[in-house]
Amino acid sequence: MDIVTLKGVCKSYSAFRLNNISFSLESGKITGFIGRNGAGKTTTIKSMLNLIHTDCGEICYFGLPLTGHESEIKQRIGYSTGTVSWYPRKTIRQIMDVTRRFYRNWDENACRRYMELFALDERKKPMELSEGMKVKCNLLFALSHGAEVLILDEPTSGLDPFSRDELLELFKKLKENGVTILFSTHITSDLERCADNIIYISHGAIKADCRKTDFMQNYGKSDETLEEIFLRLEREAIA
Amino acid sequence: MNALLQKEIRLSSSVLTYFFIAAAVMTLFPGYPILCGVFFVTLGIFQSFQNAREANDIVYSALLPVAKTDVVKGKYLFSVMIEMFGFLIMALLTILRMTVLSDAQPYRQNALMNANLFFLGMALVIFGLFNLIFIGGFFKTAYKLSPFINYIIAAFLTIVAAEAVHHIPGLEALNAFGFDCFPLQISMLLGGFAIYILLTGVSYKTACARFEKIDL
Repeated sequence: MDIVTLKGVCKSYSAFRLNNISFSLESGKITGFIGRNGAGKTTTIKSMLNLIHTDCGEICYFGLPLTGHESEIKQRIGYSTGTVSWYPRKTIRQIMDVTRRFYRNWDENACRRYMELFALDERKKPMELSEGMKVKCNLLFALSHGAEVLILDEPTSGLDPFSRDELLELFKKLKENGVTILFSTHITSDLERCADNIIYISHGAIKADCRKTDFMQNYGKSDETLEEIFLRLEREAIA
Repeated sequence: MNALLQKEIRLSSSVLTYFFIAAAVMTLFPGYPILCGVFFVTLGIFQSFQNAREANDIVYSALLPVAKTDVVKGKYLFSVMIEMFGFLIMALLTILRMTVLSDAQPYRQNALMNANLFFLGMALVIFGLFNLIFIGGFFKTAYKLSPFINYIIAAFLTIVAAEAVHHIPGLEALNAFGFDCFPLQISMLLGGFAIYILLTGVSYKTACARFEKIDL
């Protein structure tokens, strides 16, 4: 069952165009979202979060269009990015105390569990955290309200190999519990370990949207890794 | 609504906003353009907008399970709350000047604007201008704070006009002491309230429409 669908989403900027983006996210699967810098990954994710105003197309979650059901949908989804820190001078506890008031399903026990798992100190401020810990802090917020869909933009960037491994295991567990994950990353080896499906975007258009095994089979040569396939496809596009 | 206001107060506001509410006490200053107190209260609110921008508050708020227009609503609720706190202090001090202190020499010899209901009406007009020009203008981009410059110009022109108007022959009653010319004074206050509600309402509607269209 498709839990998220994008149909013909377009967005034009002066030097870039997101062109007729259509794909679906299967329930309880991890979908890797790959593409080089500027390919349109973040613009697509921002469209999915209604942070940018699309020119055309429709985005639906749980069969409901995002337009008109925004708050209801956002109760059931979580977003995490590795690049931004919110309220850098407030403590994690202060941010959490305010944030939980917005979510009907905020789970304080889960929050405590993830805080322990990520070794986060609630008395710390985001400005005092390393890049890796900021990623974990953002993930903590996304995971504590029982999101059914997680949209993760570079969630493992800045993490040490051990923390990355822990996170990938966590994503697999979440998947087993029925959580749908869109995982945008440049670290394609992470996707080799946990993704079920791959969406490949290039120059603002979806070039591939299929199961990971099919992607490796259809686009790969002999024993190429996902990263090698991705690099070759990009080089071929330039040539 | 409560959660939105809590977020504004506990996460995005600047402590200077609360500190600047104290500028409402300028209502008691003799020989001082007391409407400047209103400007300082709005300067405090401006600090919270600046703080919020640096803390990525707008994007964080837009990611919360609220409609995009609720992000705008939160900012207006917070601003109106601070304005009304400032206004309440000004109103209490104005009543003090209109009653117990109405015959105090420093106020009687004051060449500048007197604290009366006309003053309170003008205070509301300036608050309304802040909401219209600055907050409405801020939501054109949700990050540029430059509309505050336009507001400064509008606010000081209004202060100068309000200070000057009672020197025009026939309009001396606007500077009435105590409860003199009360019907005129009360109509000025009610007029100020009406303008405040109108400017804030128009600004809020415009800001919501603008914020829906912008990309974060």
